Amino acid sequence: MLGEGAAGWSRALLVLGVIGLAASAVLAPLGAESFFRGYLVNLAFFSSLALGALFFVILQHLTRAGWSVVVRRMAENVTGAFGALGVLALPIVLAVLLGAPAALHHVYHWTDAEHVAHDAVLRGKSAYLNGPFFALRMLLYFGLWIALAGFYARLSREQDRTGDAELTTRMQARSAPSIILYALSLTFFSFDLLMSLEAHWYSTIFGVYYFSGSALGFFALLAGSMHLLQRAGYGRESFTQEHFHDVGKLVFAFVVFWAYIAFSQYMLMWYGNLPEETGWYLTRQRGPWLVVSFLLLFGHFVVPFLLLISRYPKRHPRALVWLCAWVLVAHWIDMFYLVMPHNLPAEAGTEAQAAPLLLTDVLQCLTALVGIGGVFGWAVLNRMRSAALVPLRDPRLPESLAFHNI
Amino acid sequence: MQTSGVSTIERPGVAAPRTDGKLHALLAEFDSPQTLISACERVRDAGFSRWDAHSPYPIHGIDEAMGIRMTRLPYLVFVLGLTGCLTGIGLQWWANAADARQFGFVPTFLQGYNFPVSGKPFWSFPANIPVIFELTILFSALAAFIGMLAMNNLPLFSRPVFRSRAFTERVTSHGFFVCIEAADPKFNEARARTFLESIGALGVERVEDHDEAPLRNAWIKRGAVIAFMVLLIPPAMIAKAWTSKSNDPRVHIIQDMDNQEKYKAQQSMPLFADRRAARQPLPGTVARGDLRSDDHLYRGIVGEQFADDFPASVLVNESLIRRGQQRFGVYCAPCHGLDGSGNGPVNVRAMELGGSWVAAADLADDERRSRPAGHLYNTITNGIRTMPAYGDRIKPEDRWAIVAYVRALQHARHADADALPPDLVEQLKDR
Repeated sequence: MLGEGAAGWSRALLVLGVIGLAASAVLAPLGAESFFRGYLVNLAFFSSLALGALFFVILQHLTRAGWSVVVRRMAENVTGAFGALGVLALPIVLAVLLGAPAALHHVYHWTDAEHVAHDAVLRGKSAYLNGPFFALRMLLYFGLWIALAGFYARLSREQDRTGDAELTTRMQARSAPSIILYALSLTFFSFDLLMSLEAHWYSTIFGVYYFSGSALGFFALLAGSMHLLQRAGYGRESFTQEHFHDVGKLVFAFVVFWAYIAFSQYMLMWYGNLPEETGWYLTRQRGPWLVVSFLLLFGHFVVPFLLLISRYPKRHPRALVWLCAWVLVAHWIDMFYLVMPHNLPAEAGTEAQAAPLLLTDVLQCLTALVGIGGVFGWAVLNRMRSAALVPLRDPRLPESLAFHNI
Repeated sequence: MQTSGVSTIERPGVAAPRTDGKLHALLAEFDSPQTLISACERVRDAGFSRWDAHSPYPIHGIDEAMGIRMTRLPYLVFVLGLTGCLTGIGLQWWANAADARQFGFVPTFLQGYNFPVSGKPFWSFPANIPVIFELTILFSALAAFIGMLAMNNLPLFSRPVFRSRAFTERVTSHGFFVCIEAADPKFNEARARTFLESIGALGVERVEDHDEAPLRNAWIKRGAVIAFMVLLIPPAMIAKAWTSKSNDPRVHIIQDMDNQEKYKAQQSMPLFADRRAARQPLPGTVARGDLRSDDHLYRGIVGEQFADDFPASVLVNESLIRRGQQRFGVYCAPCHGLDGSGNGPVNVRAMELGGSWVAAADLADDERRSRPAGHLYNTITNGIRTMPAYGDRIKPEDRWAIVAYVRALQHARHADADALPPDLVEQLKDR
């Protein structure tokens, strides 16, 4: 359990978050479209971290993993942010539901009834992509995640008090259906929140793409926070070099997995060369967005891949924490890459032009980062203050403490 | 073959120890993984270098206790993985993107071939990544597997410690052993034995190295030689097939349904007087739709002469000419060109290449304009000079449609502007 010092941090983060959100709202009149896009980048980013944590928790129960028990509570704490994230999703959901402002029509074209009436493709998708159903689905996603996260966190904490091994059995029994629901909800969440930004375009692998980044982002966050906690004096005995090594291996694996999925999506569309598929990539090869694409190729794959091949950084937290910071920044850029690039409305018969990156885009991204990040951090720290940082009486705790890679 | 070397570890009296061989090593047994680890630390600290520990299962911390340094295998895997990556890049560049004209000195069968796929450039990196990826993985995996075997001196079928009954009976179930080799520079039998006993060995046994190989080892060698000889047979047969000629049909190992007990069209058959398997239709029979009694429609002939006009069953109107234009574009334009002047891409290319090609005719020259319709129809049906016969691939009605279109082309190529409708003239002026 975090000590009293953490209460100050937690309050500071909340204040910072509120200031960030207020700044976003104040700046919104300067560019409402920038507000929505900047907000979406960060909503997708912090949701992905919580989703990666939920995946980790369910996976550990599904595989009955022993090594990870000491770090599992950290993941349970991160999933505690789903409630706050659900509230933070409200501006988007309400804007879509209650007759969207004009700026949102440029972000989500399918919210514009007049546009949809003239667009055969969007008309065909309107049974799925419409305001009320979008809001209902968001409610279902966050409801499901809050329930799943609550179930695992509650039973795990109850075990701290009772030491009942039966609780572990119950969590394991629920893990298989949980991971199926998790996979479906994450996939459709990414379709709704991110893929529908360009509603003409579709990619069946998109959910996996978002998932790979989510898991990667969470593992980077996990390794980083383990190290920060140790520097603050917590978990020095429980998190050993071996646990850092394993989390580092997961970061490495998901760097490769992300690249594999990203390339799988790219190559099929590049090879098929069908206009309805390549348009999405064409936008990202124009103007300032080409730079972002290359930044991802090298920052999200090549550099961390080469640096993480060696065993050294995985077993040396002081090196690993910098790599994890790098990976988190790359993952944030990935979300930026999914949300920001778009074409200017084209005149009939002329080639589409990529929209430039505006100053308000950058400002809104940063204020929303501070705003949503602050609230997210506050929610997670609050969780960390209310229970032990390690599942104290998990039946596999001794196995985890004694864990050795070599 | 001798029985096992025997020991102070065994119960006394089980078998007499054999002491005539050369000393290979001293084998000490310990009772638990903990004592094994502490013993290993002592042996390590005593400065021995040629020794090993044996246990039924992996023990965490034994590497450190034995002072084993980090394996170098990862470096080997990395270098070979990189080699695989470069091989993948090089292979695909050479096979599809290299300009063969610059590498004329390379034998033809080793040259690549510029193969256009989906209209992509010959060197299209995204398409190459899967193969690069797979070769990187393949090289890394093989390097890890073979490198691991090589660095561990495997496969090794027999070692002198296998002569110890204590070792073979317990090392895979509950025995923990340390074995110090006599070849170690710090080895002295008496001192090593005292040392091992002092660090908690239950017993210490001499392991001897006898000159004769154990029987099992010899059989493995013989088996390996025989297997190698057998494996040489298929390549030898392939080499023979390459260098010799034969009139026999190929060896047909997998039959599928290739050879069935039935007569095929061109085979002979004893049942019939003419010995043909394929029977002729009865004299005077005509298959349905094959009567073709209308010479004008099917052959373009009336009496003995080519017909001047179209058969009665073909109605000449705009839709027929449109149909003819469309068919002309498919079958005729590649050589005769869209305007019938003979500038089609096949003809142009063939004329460049020379040879026995006869130029495609200008369909609107005086000779072709004077020909009766039936003559043009006949040329389409039966072909002429280098032009193949199209009778088998264009329906009679469509052939007449093409004739109608050719007539329209001939007319158009010799028409005055005055003959055009006035609004069309206006349109053409704009161009």
